[in-house]
Amino acid sequence: MAKAIGIDLGTTNSVVAVMEGGKPTVIINSEGNRLTPSVVGFTTTGERLVGQLAKRQAVLNPENTISSAKRFIGRRFSEVQSEIKNVPYKVVAGSDDAVRFLVMGKQYPPEEVSAVVLRRLVEDAAKYLGEKITDAVITVPAYFNDAQRQATQDAGKIAGLNVLRIINEPTAAALAYGLDKKGNETILVFDLGGGTFDVSVLDVGDGIFEVHSTAGDTHLGGDDFDKRLVDWIAEEFLRDHGIDLRKDRQSLQRLSEAAEKAKIELSGALETNINLPFVTANASGPKHLEMKLSRAKFDQLTADLVERCKGPVERALADAKIQVAQLDEVILVGGSTRIPAVQTLVRRLTGGKEPNQSVNPDEVVAIGAAIQAGVLAGEVKGVVLLDVTPLSLGLETLGGVMTKLIERNTTIPARKAETFSTAEDNQTAVDVHALQGEREFAKDNRTLGHFRLEGIKAAPRGAPQVEVTFDIDANGVLTVTAKDKETGKEQKITVAGSTQLSKDEIDRMVRDAQSHVEDDKRRREEVSARNGADSIAYEVERQIRDLGDKVPANEKARAEQLITQIRELVKNESTDVPLMRTATSDLQQLAHALAATTQTQGSPSAAHADGANGAPIGGAEDVIDAEFTQTK
Amino acid sequence: MRPSDINGKIIVDVQPPEIEIVRALLRSEHDMYLRSLADFDNYRRRVERDTAAAIERGKRSLILAFLEVVDSFDRALLQVGDAAAPLVEGLEAVHRKTLALLQTQGITPYNSVGELFNPALHEAVASVVGTQYAPGVVADELQRGYKAGDAVFRPALVRVSQQS
Repeated sequence: MAKAIGIDLGTTNSVVAVMEGGKPTVIINSEGNRLTPSVVGFTTTGERLVGQLAKRQAVLNPENTISSAKRFIGRRFSEVQSEIKNVPYKVVAGSDDAVRFLVMGKQYPPEEVSAVVLRRLVEDAAKYLGEKITDAVITVPAYFNDAQRQATQDAGKIAGLNVLRIINEPTAAALAYGLDKKGNETILVFDLGGGTFDVSVLDVGDGIFEVHSTAGDTHLGGDDFDKRLVDWIAEEFLRDHGIDLRKDRQSLQRLSEAAEKAKIELSGALETNINLPFVTANASGPKHLEMKLSRAKFDQLTADLVERCKGPVERALADAKIQVAQLDEVILVGGSTRIPAVQTLVRRLTGGKEPNQSVNPDEVVAIGAAIQAGVLAGEVKGVVLLDVTPLSLGLETLGGVMTKLIERNTTIPARKAETFSTAEDNQTAVDVHALQGEREFAKDNRTLGHFRLEGIKAAPRGAPQVEVTFDIDANGVLTVTAKDKETGKEQKITVAGSTQLSKDEIDRMVRDAQSHVEDDKRRREEVSARNGADSIAYEVERQIRDLGDKVPANEKARAEQLITQIRELVKNESTDVPLMRTATSDLQQLAHALAATTQTQGSPSAAHADGANGAPIGGAEDVIDAEFTQTK
Repeated sequence: MRPSDINGKIIVDVQPPEIEIVRALLRSEHDMYLRSLADFDNYRRRVERDTAAAIERGKRSLILAFLEVVDSFDRALLQVGDAAAPLVEGLEAVHRKTLALLQTQGITPYNSVGELFNPALHEAVASVVGTQYAPGVVADELQRGYKAGDAVFRPALVRVSQQS
């Protein structure tokens, strides 16, 4: 089935997103960026440059480089006089008072220029997805009239797209936050982009959005904040060095980049350094720019810009006849809403409500459009909804530890097997204690069931191989099987409803685990140290027994002394972990020395105490140990 | 099919036999199974691609920031002119070492001055008149451009010659 994409066709930049595997993803363009400048450049050689490339040649070719086409789309020539003053290219009246861009003697309607941008976005999406794209949802500002919407749709058609729907930008933002699934709500969308500011108040009920009011400022955005900073830095430098950096294109370019970077940094930090070595030079030599800028200073410099956002918010609320207290949700859209002072203003104007801002504000509109496109294209149909295990599943191993086989949030059906062994010599049965939960220790988790596998052949500990399999089907029915690989003997239990815990209970168990994480970790380390110590003591004992007289008497005495010490420490409830680790390490060294002796003397027996990180199954006398080898 | 005789006419029961229902069910289940296999395969490929891309992005942002330091170096060396003082020689050696380090990461500078302006390689900062170059040719370079292999890693910032 062909994919449908969502396009945020912006004034400054455009973004395209798509549903992939049920999740919206922003598509990276051919230059490796998530934003594509909405700019088209017509060159003398007849080429049409789009996006970043068009922007790079704009200063050389200002008359033939069209940016902000969105400000003109679907409008009458008589309506756009104030916009014409702000653009370096020629805008003329076509037939019927239609807006036309005059480029190298040829007239282009704005929708044709937007179509060029759309085509590029679609090509990049097709390359990314590896399939042809024909269907799309395109967003427009909520205040767009029928003519502007129709022209946007036409732009899509010119670009060869089947426009599934034109949706409002604030509606798309609300969709990205899944607000269509809520009951009746009143939402305020605050959208401060690169060059435009829009406020919308909408209602949602039964998945249907209704825009009640819109307000805004068509010439207010992040670029204004950058300009304030550039001017301030330049003035400071002028005062100190007598040179106006704005007069030199190169210096200005570097200054603009540094200002934008500083602005972005001040959204996360309280202070930033602006550092431009060799920014310019005069007769006395090179000059460097180095200054500190605090967020407080930045806020002071841009206070009036932030304040300009206030009027439209109040107007939108008044027009919608909505009291601040009636707002259920506030959504932030546009990169400039990352500025802390802007967020503070929004909170102040909306009665202290915490705004939705978890989705990247540059991408939230495109993501909402992609979600809408996914629904319209039937992406959701035919998809099997798979459940996940709400909590981890595992079994009890040596020291009362829970060893997880299936981690929480694993998509089911799922199956996982691991091989365990015995904890004692000649152990003929193992207890399998199946558990559910996030805590490190069995006793803190929920018991799903117990069973015992008997008839294991008597063997030294660690030798028998018991494969334990956890299999959970699509209905959440868990089957735990233990199988002795040597005899083929098998036991199993089936537990239904392991996924049907109440949400509260799951949340409680997960929270519980989080609050005990440090404590559990410490206890688990203790158990692991104890198991390691016990295991090495066992190994060395066996080694000495195997080697018999070949072990020098002094080494034998030393080993026995260490083993006794370790056994004491292991038995002791309140073990000194560092002391046990030291003893373990001493004994390990001795084991290596013994192994070396064996080899030089050509003995066939060498220690195979390879990191016995023992984990026993069950707590009874004849429990399983698990020196676990993972099955593939 | 169960034909039955009603008023002398043969009526065929239209209800498909159970085996047909089961077959249809099996086909749809098998289709779903194949779809999920395909979904997983696509997912695996996407994860591989996204992981590689994420590594590249991480490396890219680090190198881009590093290039700003190299740019400052370039500007400093421009200021010292032709003076061959030992300190300058030392700085030049450090500069060469820096470029060599970039080269190990596949990042190499490219020359722009004297070349025809090409937006794929160059970002125009301004146009200049009265240079030795023909119109449309890069007259000077304000910041070097770098390539990663054959692809442009960071375009050069340039001034372009224009007719006076």
